[in-house]
Amino acid sequence: MLIELANVYKIYNEEMENEVRALNGVSLKIDRGEFVGIIGASGSGKSTLMNILGCLDLPTYGEYYLNGRDVSELSDRKLSHVRSREVGFIFQGFNLVEALSALENVELPLVYQGVSSWRRREMAGDALERVGLLERARHKPSEMSGGQQQRVAIARAISTNPPIIMADEPTGALDTKTGKVVLEILSSIHRDGATVLLITHNNDIAAQTERLVRISDGVIIEDRDNRGAAP
Amino acid sequence: MSISRSMKMAVKSILSNKARTVLTMLGIIIGIAAVMTIVSVVQGTNRRSMEMYESQGTNKIDVYAYQWNGKDISQKLYDYCLSLNELVAGVTPNMGYWGAGGSVKYMAADAANNPDYGAPQVALGSDQYSLCNNFTIAEGRDLSYLDVKMYNQVIVLGAAVKDYLFQYQNPIGQRVTLGANTFEVIGVYKAKDAGFSQGWSLDNIAVVPYTLNRMLNNSTMIESFVVKAKSKAATTEAITRLTGFLSGEIDPNMGYFNVYSQNEWMDENASATKMYSYVGGGVAGISLLVGGIGIMNIMLVTVKERTREIGIRRAIGGSRRTILVQFLLEAAVVCGVGGLFGLALGLVGTLVAGKLMLEMVLMPGVAMSAAAFAFSVALGLVFGIYPAVKAAWLQPVEALRSE
Repeated sequence: MLIELANVYKIYNEEMENEVRALNGVSLKIDRGEFVGIIGASGSGKSTLMNILGCLDLPTYGEYYLNGRDVSELSDRKLSHVRSREVGFIFQGFNLVEALSALENVELPLVYQGVSSWRRREMAGDALERVGLLERARHKPSEMSGGQQQRVAIARAISTNPPIIMADEPTGALDTKTGKVVLEILSSIHRDGATVLLITHNNDIAAQTERLVRISDGVIIEDRDNRGAAP
Repeated sequence: MSISRSMKMAVKSILSNKARTVLTMLGIIIGIAAVMTIVSVVQGTNRRSMEMYESQGTNKIDVYAYQWNGKDISQKLYDYCLSLNELVAGVTPNMGYWGAGGSVKYMAADAANNPDYGAPQVALGSDQYSLCNNFTIAEGRDLSYLDVKMYNQVIVLGAAVKDYLFQYQNPIGQRVTLGANTFEVIGVYKAKDAGFSQGWSLDNIAVVPYTLNRMLNNSTMIESFVVKAKSKAATTEAITRLTGFLSGEIDPNMGYFNVYSQNEWMDENASATKMYSYVGGGVAGISLLVGGIGIMNIMLVTVKERTREIGIRRAIGGSRRTILVQFLLEAAVVCGVGGLFGLALGLVGTLVAGKLMLEMVLMPGVAMSAAAFAFSVALGLVFGIYPAVKAAWLQPVEALRSE
């Protein structure tokens, strides 16, 4: 099992008047190679779930096994290492470093892995090629369209060949057409063997995944196989 | 992640905001330049005083004794000075020439008209005059024991007097006049300096045998001697003995004496220089401190502005440590580069100040420059710590959420 959440809680301001239970007892298993859509309205806890799955945040209670290892109590350095090796993030707002070119942005995770500079250039170039943006390698994010920026962000996420790709509303800031391109790229990444988690509030987008996990008020209310459903 | 990679990253992000970086550096640049210039000028001033002092001769004791009851202890004092032979390397009377027409003349030229230094100082000394006053002979010969014993009317000229009276002529064997008396030039002293300060020079001097005192000054009294001691310790000891001797000889109601060495003056000068260096350096150091606080301020703003970037870096694998190192290095690089600019400006400042204030080519010391540079880097590290810690301890999730 690649991902295993056991009765995970994320509680803010616990036992105070303004207590918020972003996750209220979530258990979830995800196998290697799945393409999972996590769907929920805003405030349902889906982003918190992703932050925990991506080791950006730790659960208040419960256990999280990633690749068989309990990561709910790791030190910052080890968590950083896990983020660096196991997970590639794609965000709604692209989250590229404005001062760096497309190629440099894609290289950044490799820098933190300590990859040598020529090898880095090669791997980042490959990743940019997979999203069809090699010819824009020298451009800054501000010189690119939203769709192109998101493709750079995807290239950055896949540059280290992580087993898991997490995409949080990757099409949220894009029009339907460019959103479709981005989804197709995600599908192809999944076909190449990666486990893809797609977080969205949009049913049409969630419908393109193979498994659908619906979350509401911090609990999973639906978890079903989505293969064969209407495309 | 290696330091060199962090360094490249730091340089890249510094270059992405050049105007601000330069403004940030300004405090460091001015601080370092001020420290270097002030300390260099103080040290230059000190070096100049020391050179002047040393060219007059070290371990030199000026002895002055005068009585208005007419009692003449000149010979007794001279003999006593000579008796201190285990402490003393040389003794000379050091009388001025007070006679009529107090200047050296050659044909129509009068050394008193020297536009640079004015009238020369004519001294009555012994054959040890040059030894006691640190003169060496450039041409001809020095006063001899026989010149003194035989009342020879001979004169040794300082370089400034020779240059003014004879220019490129050979002065040796020529005759010059002091008032009504004629003297043969037997030697010329080597120049000590090319003009320490305006209107005055150690080379504007002429020396004749002190035995001509009666002829020139119409007196047998010698009130002033110069004693050259063998060492610094001997100087102190000789001063003690001379003071003791003169206290016994001179009734304070009937006369006056003074025994003085510039060694004390030099020591005072050295400690004063040290103090000026500390004060000047301290003032400039405060400006550096202000510069450092400026760095901290800008780095805090930078961390705030780049919160989202920090979140991104954390999300894609940057640990707290790498973020900390990155921001620390950024501060250190900004300060280090500022320090280098400061060194350049300080060099210019030192050269200009040296030229204007001391009329000499003054250069900042290598050790001081290296220390100033190291200090500016250290300043960056110290004042970069707080912002860097702040950056490193941002929560990734919250950092990513910030606008």
